[in-house]
Amino acid sequence: MRTTIMLAVVGALVLASAQVCADPSPSPPGAQEYIIWPPDGAVITGGKLWVRMGLRNMGVCPKGVDVPNTGHHHLLIDTDLPPMDREIPSDRQHLHFGAGETDARIELPPGKHTLQLLLGDHNHVPHNPPVYSKKITITVK
Amino acid sequence: MSKVIAVTAFAAFACISAALAGPTPAPNGAYAYIGYPNNGQVVPANKPFRVWFGLRYMGVAPKGVKYPNTGHHHLLIDTDLPPLDQEIPSDRQHLHYGAGQTETTIELPPGKHTLQLLMGDENHVPHNPPVYSKKITVIAK
Repeated sequence: MRTTIMLAVVGALVLASAQVCADPSPSPPGAQEYIIWPPDGAVITGGKLWVRMGLRNMGVCPKGVDVPNTGHHHLLIDTDLPPMDREIPSDRQHLHFGAGETDARIELPPGKHTLQLLLGDHNHVPHNPPVYSKKITITVK
Repeated sequence: MSKVIAVTAFAAFACISAALAGPTPAPNGAYAYIGYPNNGQVVPANKPFRVWFGLRYMGVAPKGVKYPNTGHHHLLIDTDLPPLDQEIPSDRQHLHYGAGQTETTIELPPGKHTLQLLMGDENHVPHNPPVYSKKITVIAK
């Protein structure tokens, strides 16, 4: 019985410390991410477009560089927000802009698509509280 | 003799071009642009309005951060480009965005005003070649 309790305590401590290690960078009050262009509901002909990534009350900084109140953009395509307590996946639906880019050139096949921005800290982990845009829908013709 | 003149001319030219830009290389095709307001736009006088900083084929990094192909924005108001081989002045006509900001709000008195963006490297010196936007005119009314 006592061993079980000990194990539970140790387990809880391990979990707690794991969470401390994964503590994300704080975001400043009023930080807001948004898609400047395209507008929600836009119809794009040809499928190639520039997405202009907007950020308020916070700055952009490349990956791997820890500067307070900064982060780098991630563009989520046709997907929901990933878990907020770990590194943002890096694949065709989660584009990383780790070189501090603020304009993204993308190409999409015909049809409806969703776009959403999520800011990641120097380790690609969302901030606390997370800074992300509204999810918009565009149509490619 | 003509060879000597040519060599001298070339050396002089090399010196001149070296003096016209800072030491940090800018990537090919990089350019800055003002996403908003538009050239010739009427903006409210003595009231804050938003200015969007656009940047293509290059990234944003806060001042003091050395990261290839990045820089931070400077907004020039009612002034020409400063010397491109020195630190960009910091005053009311040369606003620095060293925290990696990609937009701002400014207020202008009534009248015609010019706005232009100029990228600076981690030491606030323009790149080689320098990366700046077209100079636009707005009318504050």
